[in-house]
Amino acid sequence: MGAIHSLARRTLFARRARTILTILGIGLGIGVLVAAVVTNASLDAAAASTVRERLGNADVRISALEERGLSPASVAAAAAAPGVAIAAPQLEARTYPRLSATGGGAALPDPVTVIGVDPVVDPKVHARPLSAGSGLPADRADVALVSEALARDDGLVVGETITLEGAADAKPAVLTVTGIVAATGGPDPAGRNVVVPLATAQALFQPGDAGGRVSRVDVVAADGADPSAVEEALVAALALEPYSLTTPAEAEADLVASTSGLRGIIALVVVVVLFGAAFLVFNTLAMSVAERVREVGLLRAAGMTRRQVRLLVLFQAVHLGVGGAIVGLVLGIGLATGVTVLLGGAVPAAAGSPVLPPLEIALALLVGLAVTAAAALEPAFLAASIPPVEALRLQADLAGGRPVRLRWLLAVLVLVGAVGLLLIPVPATAAGYLAPLAVYGILVVAALAIPFVLGPLGRLAGLLVAPFLPLEERLTRGALVRDRSRAALTVGALVVAVAMISALGGVAASTRAAADAWLTEVVPGNEVLVAVHPVALDDPVLDELRAVDGVARVSPIGRFAIAAGGYRLDTVAISGADFAADGRLRFVAGDPATALAALDAGGAAILSRGRADALGLDLGGTLTATAAEGPVDLAVAGIVDRSVPGESGEAVLVGWPDASRLGALGADLFAVRYAAGAEATARPALDDVAVLYALQPADLGDIRGAVGTSLERMFDLLDMLAVVALLVAALGIANTLTMNVLERVREIGVLRAAGLTRRQVWRMVVVEATILALVGAAVGAVAGVAAAGTMVAAGGGTAPSFDPGWLTLGMAVAGSVALATLAAVYPARVAGRIEIVRAVSYE
Amino acid sequence: MPAILEARDLVKRYRLGAGDVEALRGVSLSVERGEFVAFMGPSGSGKSTLLHLLGGLDRPTSGEVILDGAAISSLSDDAATRLRREQTGFVFQFFNLVPLLSVRENVALPFMIAGQDPNRGEAAERIGDAIAAVDLAGKERNRPDQLSAGEQQRVAIARALVHRPALVLADEPTGNLDFTTGTDVLESLWRSCTQRGQTIVLVTHDAKAAAYADRVFFLRDGLVRDEIVLGRRDEHGAAPLIARLAQLGL
Ligand SMILES: Nc1ncnc2c1ncn2[C@@H]1O[C@H](COP(=O)(O)OP(=O)(O)OP(=O)(O)O)[C@@H](O)[C@H]1O
Ligand SMILES: [Mg+2]
Repeated sequence: MGAIHSLARRTLFARRARTILTILGIGLGIGVLVAAVVTNASLDAAAASTVRERLGNADVRISALEERGLSPASVAAAAAAPGVAIAAPQLEARTYPRLSATGGGAALPDPVTVIGVDPVVDPKVHARPLSAGSGLPADRADVALVSEALARDDGLVVGETITLEGAADAKPAVLTVTGIVAATGGPDPAGRNVVVPLATAQALFQPGDAGGRVSRVDVVAADGADPSAVEEALVAALALEPYSLTTPAEAEADLVASTSGLRGIIALVVVVVLFGAAFLVFNTLAMSVAERVREVGLLRAAGMTRRQVRLLVLFQAVHLGVGGAIVGLVLGIGLATGVTVLLGGAVPAAAGSPVLPPLEIALALLVGLAVTAAAALEPAFLAASIPPVEALRLQADLAGGRPVRLRWLLAVLVLVGAVGLLLIPVPATAAGYLAPLAVYGILVVAALAIPFVLGPLGRLAGLLVAPFLPLEERLTRGALVRDRSRAALTVGALVVAVAMISALGGVAASTRAAADAWLTEVVPGNEVLVAVHPVALDDPVLDELRAVDGVARVSPIGRFAIAAGGYRLDTVAISGADFAADGRLRFVAGDPATALAALDAGGAAILSRGRADALGLDLGGTLTATAAEGPVDLAVAGIVDRSVPGESGEAVLVGWPDASRLGALGADLFAVRYAAGAEATARPALDDVAVLYALQPADLGDIRGAVGTSLERMFDLLDMLAVVALLVAALGIANTLTMNVLERVREIGVLRAAGLTRRQVWRMVVVEATILALVGAAVGAVAGVAAAGTMVAAGGGTAPSFDPGWLTLGMAVAGSVALATLAAVYPARVAGRIEIVRAVSYE
Repeated sequence: MPAILEARDLVKRYRLGAGDVEALRGVSLSVERGEFVAFMGPSGSGKSTLLHLLGGLDRPTSGEVILDGAAISSLSDDAATRLRREQTGFVFQFFNLVPLLSVRENVALPFMIAGQDPNRGEAAERIGDAIAAVDLAGKERNRPDQLSAGEQQRVAIARALVHRPALVLADEPTGNLDFTTGTDVLESLWRSCTQRGQTIVLVTHDAKAAAYADRVFFLRDGLVRDEIVLGRRDEHGAAPLIARLAQLGL
């Protein structure tokens, strides 16, 4: 046992470069696994801390469903409910800090989120740790706390003033900054939060008789009161207007759920990288066996048992695995730190530093070792099956004579897939599992198909190379089919990596394209003006915008939410006449003209097909929304293929007469259509007017509905992970080629003796890599597009326009070919340096 | 006749852990164009080492090899490779063929390496001739592993001869062949020498093979100990050579 162990160690040491490559490969695999585990734990921890920051020590949050908020009566009712110790009201609104006085085409400043709080009650619920200054004094209205991000962005210090724009007929508020809030968890997406006294916020955003309303109330239960009893008491007390109740646990679950898509994709990447690493181990061990057939034969002849031979190979695997685990641990924690930083900006719930869960990390390391050991099984049995007489054969060709080890490949694939699905919590719904499973299935099929397509595709790829390097191509051709299973395994790792990248690229591109297409299809205009807070339809800005020369139509669009059947539904108010004249809603049921006219008349709604299905409503059915003034019945006047994107799915379309009954305050967007040919001149004029009224002009392409920059950063992250997969694949290629070269020492010696120069030998190896890479990239690209299509289709049908993401696809293909070629440099040098005399006299 | 090959005081030392091994300790000889020479000697006497140096496969520790007027031993690797490609053909005892190329492609290698199209013009003709000359017509498409050892060796000879190199170097080409197949291989070499005027350098243990040569060098301990001149004969009986060897006490 000790002798076998030391033999195993010595053989690894003797092939140091290859051993290092393999350990690196395993290390990358385990590293990604560890990174995923750490990222998961960090996301959970971040969700918990975000909820703690947002809800403070509240036991329940009451949120207004209607845009105008909860009335003072509701706030009072909540405060008076039995078991309620504290009820802290908040008003949240977006606005601009100080408009540039002169307009004149000047851009709008970045918006901020204002949170109005009761200066006396709020500190009992929300700890707002300050990095400078002091909290809001109870006796002043003209004060504000600003977040660190805002202070940094706008150069604010304690004692300075900040000017906030209010609603149309409110005067701007000039507030003195009394403190800087250190916490990062405010509601503003860019972290630009301003905390002001509630009365100040109400005066700013609710001028006139609408005053006194709030966005939400955070409730702390009295000592000893049962939180669920308090919840019930609140339900009983609040009967005036629609609202929703959230407990910290629910909020946390929501946040965690919002990252489930991300987690699912990370799981997929992990599985792919592990798969690549398993390839590497298998390759390395299988090759070291193939190389040493004669040696193993001699050992067998000298009395080594099959069991001992198997042990020899398995010992090697254990060494490789332990080395890989150490590298992986370091790499994984580093990677997770990077991921957390990247995610910090992308997923609100992911800010913070990485959390290292010891148990899960230990498990990840174990899984890495298990995959390594599993990958070593086949080579171990292969080695043990070498008969002693093999040592005596002249040209023992072990590998070449074996059939493709598909069964082994399938076993490892299934194992790795199971590990991935078990280790990473995917959403509990069946659909949450379905997409990753389908994608994994596509990858498995692609990997299993390689042995069959390698020959013909290799020839095809060779045709690309042959015109330039005919000799090298010809000399390479045989090498590709020499050990079809090995080449297949190598190409497989590459296929999977390229497939991953192109799949992710395809999903990103499709999501983006879908969002774009959606908007350009349904919005009746060339340009959109975005309001930071709702603009009433009788606001003079509308007339001013319509008066600009060359503007054909300005159509107001309002986004809000309604409560119907216990659900919160995204709703969009539109002008039916404008959409009848210009919009391109595709009706699947109902007459477009009638339906749109019905919206303008009131009491009607248009649903998207998906929404209608989900609600079980048909044309002519009734959707009853709960509003403060009582139930509002909306007859389904039409069903469209796709409607306007809302916060979570497609919005219900209603007319403006119903919008105010349903609690909408005004328009959030204006779609502007220019007269034919007038856009170039009219646009600057219109933009000037817009900026004066604090409307942000935006291209349709700039507004991507649900797809914001945060989503793109998430895709960046995934690209990063996929690049790791590609690196593993490149290591695999370097490994395979090195073994190929070492196996061909004699052959290369003969070629050199016959006059092949070092450079030609070098080129031959590089050409081989390029051909392998071309095949891998081609199969990978096809599999990737298929996987992306599956993921997009599984995305709930919100993005039927599938864009394979040609740019990413091209980059993945070119990058992998380049990387594989680069990976060939080392083996090519080995080949070029082979001493002819040794090669030909070696027996 | 001018010498095509000249060795001047060749020394080859191998560095081995504790001490050095002197495989060659000062060998000088010259071979004329069109000559058939053989190296004999006990195992380890340095025959293969000398052949490798003469063909430019390796470099001497000191001394020079002049091949067709060029000091191949001091050329760069690329230049030496090119000279080797144009002027020499090698036959080894084992592992002569590229296993993944067909018989025809193996024979065509020198043309392929030089960047010529082996399916056209003179190259195609010569390849056909070379294969026919070693009696392998009809097996062009076979892979090396589908041939017997003797056939494999004949393919190697066809390849060594196909581009009509001035110098053909063979290291125990008949070492693992039976008598008849060995004779076929030697006859091929002999014909290329007599009919095409190619120069042959043959390393062998076998007096019957060495008997084809015009001159036989006898090596021992890295030095040329004796030179036996047999002269050009059409009959290759080994008797005279064996007699001379016995006479010299070898
Ligand atoms: N790469 C090497 N490293 C060290 N010593 C070597 C090497 N190659 C050859 N030698 C030594 O050089 C000497 C000459 O070897 P060479 O192969 O030329 O002998 P040979 O006459 O061809 O023998 P054989 O008839 O067995 O083929 C031997 O002692 C051998 O051990
Ligand atoms: Mg020898």
